[in-house]
Amino acid sequence: MAVFSDTEKMYEVLGELFELLLNDPAAGKKFKESNLVIKFIINDPDGMLWVDTNEMKVICGSAELKPTIEMTLSGDSCHRFWLQQLKLPVALAKGKIKAKGPMPKILKLLPLLKPAYEAYPGIAEKHNIPVN
Amino acid sequence: MNYTELNMELTDEQIALKENVHKFAVRVLRPAAIELDKLAPEDVIKKDSIYWDVMKKIYENGYHTILIPDEYGGLGLDPLSIHIVFEELSYGSVGFAVSAGVACFSAFFASMVPDDDLIERFILPFVKCNDASILSCWAITEPDHGSDKLMPSSPFFHDPKITQGIKAVRKRNEWLINGQTSAWVSNGTIANEAALFVGIDPSMGMAGGGICLMDLDQPGVTRGKPLDKMGQRELPQGEIFFDNAVVPDEHMIVDQESYEMMTDTTLAIANACMGSFFTGVARSAYDIAVGYARERIQGGKRLIDHPTVKVKLFDMFKKIELARSYSRSAIVYNMSNVPPKTEYSIASKIFCTQTAYETASDALQIMGGYGLSKEYPIEKIFRDARAGLIEDGSNDSLALSAAYLLYSENE
Repeated sequence: MAVFSDTEKMYEVLGELFELLLNDPAAGKKFKESNLVIKFIINDPDGMLWVDTNEMKVICGSAELKPTIEMTLSGDSCHRFWLQQLKLPVALAKGKIKAKGPMPKILKLLPLLKPAYEAYPGIAEKHNIPVN
Repeated sequence: MNYTELNMELTDEQIALKENVHKFAVRVLRPAAIELDKLAPEDVIKKDSIYWDVMKKIYENGYHTILIPDEYGGLGLDPLSIHIVFEELSYGSVGFAVSAGVACFSAFFASMVPDDDLIERFILPFVKCNDASILSCWAITEPDHGSDKLMPSSPFFHDPKITQGIKAVRKRNEWLINGQTSAWVSNGTIANEAALFVGIDPSMGMAGGGICLMDLDQPGVTRGKPLDKMGQRELPQGEIFFDNAVVPDEHMIVDQESYEMMTDTTLAIANACMGSFFTGVARSAYDIAVGYARERIQGGKRLIDHPTVKVKLFDMFKKIELARSYSRSAIVYNMSNVPPKTEYSIASKIFCTQTAYETASDALQIMGGYGLSKEYPIEKIFRDARAGLIEDGSNDSLALSAAYLLYSENE
């Protein structure tokens, strides 16, 4: 059974996580400077999530934007990634995450995610998503 | 610049970058490479060698950081700009281009798994370095394993009878490394860091490997004699020996769970870069031949006015344009998609190195006896180009690897 019971639940949890990331004092400033539009294509449950650092907003669902980086992964992989149970090289090795976009920009994104790693277990628990 | 840029969408920054690197390659790299070509390999790396003067200039210009994200202070260039820089550097000297290219390997691998410790230890000091005092290398090949360590797509990669000679064994919070690399490790004799590919689980064959970032300035690490070779003599190469050398746990950044994929990704990037390097080599040979053919009088007229010479030069031009066009596409695709389509990078490497070799050979032929002499740089470029057919995986083995990728036995 998928970690996120439905798309709405997934949007609630991940939407809150990315909002937090954009509003983080240090990471938010760097996101703003990055000019990245990141598109997450998620399956099981199916959904789409955008992080637009030009407008500094998170969009759940489809949007008329041109992504700089596109990440394709399952809801469960997403959950495990934020819990740091799924390391990026392993996820890529096993095809659990596919990334599209200039590699320097993908690599640039990684260090900005730190506040999200720290916040995710708390957010997941708040929404009754198991973290173990 | 001596060719028409067919990509009309290059930005002003990319055009300026191309012009600046080209000038640097012609004024600094090529003359230095020609001087170093005459030296014994141990003299190339001496403290007072011009090798170090040139590497310092490369670092001062930030060319060593083109693969490192600007988040850390690197240039963090887009894939097309990376191709432009590598093609132009190689126009002056492919040896220096390779040396600068692998110098970033520890920092580049660290940027893929950016833990705080790795950022502090490997990335930040490297991007701040402007005197070439921090140099890495890609330590993958071994005396008994060359191209076969670069064949993750083949069935042999999972054969337990074929395993790495360099072994990593975990003891408490660290890894002990034993074994030796081949003599073909670029920067091997001078690097103070390495992205080292080791064997961890022999039951998995080559696939049971790991990648660690290693401090080479430690007891347990010694170097072999600098390699005396036919081409790219400005590029220091040599063996590295490990005798209970130590790697902290957190510096083993890839283990057997993801080794095969990371080797594949590394090959995809490295071979794509080779395509750009050898497009530059081919162009340098072509330009020398055209310049010579415009001046040399034979049979009462300039060489270039002889129809057979014109056709030969056009044939060279045609292949170089195809090499640039294809290798740019391959590097842009494979540095924009994870997982990559490695067969496209391999095709780029094979085509561009073959083009460089054939172009250098044709250029030498046009120049006749003078082409053989040390008076002109073409004989050096010919030797440099010949090495490209073997460097970064021999073209024969790489072709087999790409064929396995395209025509899997499990399809």
